[in-house]
Amino acid sequence: MIEINHLSHNFGQHWALKDISFRLKKGEFLFLSGPSGAGKTTLLNLLFAALPVQRGEARVAEFALNSIKPAQIPLLRRQVSVVFQDFRILPERSVYDNVLLPLQVRGLSRVHSDRRVRAVVRALGLEKRSSLLCGELSGGEQQRVAVARAFVVNPQVLLADEPTGNLDAELSFRLMDLFKQFQAYGTTMIVATHSQELMRRHPEAKVIRLEDGMITGANWPGATLYPGLEQMMEQRRRTAPPQPKSTKQPEGAGS
Amino acid sequence: MPRIILRLIGQGILGLSINPWAQILTLTAVILVSFLVGLFLMAVTTLDHQLSMASGETSFQVYWRPGPDQAQSDEISRQWQEIQDIPGFLHGRTFTPEQALKEMESRLGRNSTVKDLTFIAENNPLPPTGLFAFSPPQDVQNLDYGIWIKDTSQKLWDLPGVEQVSVTPLRDELGQAWRKVNTYIMRPVIVFLTLLLGLIIGNTVRLALLSKSHEVEILQLVGAFNWYIRLPLLVCGAVQALAGSAIALVLLRFIHMQIRDVLMFPPLMLEIRFLTPEMILLMLAVPALMGLLGGWVGLKR
Ligand SMILES: Nc1ncnc2c1ncn2[C@@H]1O[C@H](COP(=O)(O)OP(=O)(O)OP(=O)(O)O)[C@@H](O)[C@H]1O
Ligand SMILES: [Mg+2]
Repeated sequence: MIEINHLSHNFGQHWALKDISFRLKKGEFLFLSGPSGAGKTTLLNLLFAALPVQRGEARVAEFALNSIKPAQIPLLRRQVSVVFQDFRILPERSVYDNVLLPLQVRGLSRVHSDRRVRAVVRALGLEKRSSLLCGELSGGEQQRVAVARAFVVNPQVLLADEPTGNLDAELSFRLMDLFKQFQAYGTTMIVATHSQELMRRHPEAKVIRLEDGMITGANWPGATLYPGLEQMMEQRRRTAPPQPKSTKQPEGAGS
Repeated sequence: MPRIILRLIGQGILGLSINPWAQILTLTAVILVSFLVGLFLMAVTTLDHQLSMASGETSFQVYWRPGPDQAQSDEISRQWQEIQDIPGFLHGRTFTPEQALKEMESRLGRNSTVKDLTFIAENNPLPPTGLFAFSPPQDVQNLDYGIWIKDTSQKLWDLPGVEQVSVTPLRDELGQAWRKVNTYIMRPVIVFLTLLLGLIIGNTVRLALLSKSHEVEILQLVGAFNWYIRLPLLVCGAVQALAGSAIALVLLRFIHMQIRDVLMFPPLMLEIRFLTPEMILLMLAVPALMGLLGGWVGLKR
């Protein structure tokens, strides 16, 4: 479903992603962890063609992103839903209308859409907010609207950037349960997160740790660690011997 | 599919209310430009009409001495027959003093307080007149045109009792001049104004796109095709163009009704003509098309 080979990306002089390779099958669930600035958002942006592939290869839901034509991008995005760090919902429209939007764009009938929208809105506990304007909602509620909009179309792939960032622990766990339910329908998911707690609660999930644009850890063989990693670690150990923390094993790596 | 398109068109029309001031400004600009185009077209129609009536003709107005007696009157009617035999004669209209008076009476009667002219009928001061149209014989070259006019008017002067002959400007040359003006000035101006219309609307559509860039971005993220995003904006542009030109047409029609007859006095006798039905259709269709086109170009980066 998702196949990344030697993907690198630079912004001017700065390499935000370095030689990333991994593959995910249909219905698999991946946590993308790593410190701020590691390149998580950049990687997700590449996966739904918000950024062009510069080096390496990427295939997502049967679309070869290296050679994708602008006219095909909407088709890709009908298979790939995204939940953004900053939500990207329309504040002047109601919760219902925001969730309806992807279905409207696809030209689905009103009756058919209505049922789906209501179901998803209920699943996210937003049914009482359904007719409120999104601009009037709390951050956590807006985030749930963004999640509802992503799931309403039954996507093949879901990319979520910090979807629990604005939720309290209880809500984050509920949201994760919901993600798990959709995973059962065959949706492949990549969730970028800082939350160790979340990853600890889902030990069955695949994990990639990104640091400074490199994969420095992964818990399954489908992902390839950064090729120069061993050397780099060695170098660091030699230059800074009194600091053991600099070679700390990444979260979930090696298990 | 048609339902989506209808919905998008609806959205486009509703979109007009989103940024009313910008829309009103655009509409005003469109009205102004359409109005100018309409005025130009009206001038074109009026002059075209006038010239098509007179094309290839040269008119000679002949005045005889006023107050002819019976014998002289008979002689004049005989001359009118004679004139028809002059080479190049096309058609003519003649007025005896009585006819001229009647004509004048009926003209005045329309919009004057002087209704009864019988008091001057006894001593009619009007001369017998005739307006004769001639065309130069086909084998006469352009160079000889002036000579032909001189010859013809000399023939008319030579008739006994004729007091004056006046030749209207060379209608044929006027026609040619007009055609040049039309080709080199009017048409480029109209084309320019039409392009201007496209630019104005294209710009507004582009502004509309920028002003809702947040929404456009989100639509793109959830998989909307470009036409889905653009159609409402294009419809918005086309509707503005159509509304603007329709308003301009109504204004023109109103103005036309006020000024139709202002040039309708003897030496000119020019009836200002309104646009032909084809022109009206064009005035509606072309701006709408330019609205679509301008919108399309405006939306391409
Ligand atoms: N458009 C851009 N232009 C230049 N540099 C960029 C751009 N986007 C990202 N970067 C840089 O690339 C690096 C990776 O950024 P990215 O947003 O992917 O990090 P992240 O892992 O998502 O961080 P966070 O957890 O804070 O969201 C950062 O150093 C960032 O400054
Ligand atoms: Mg980020």
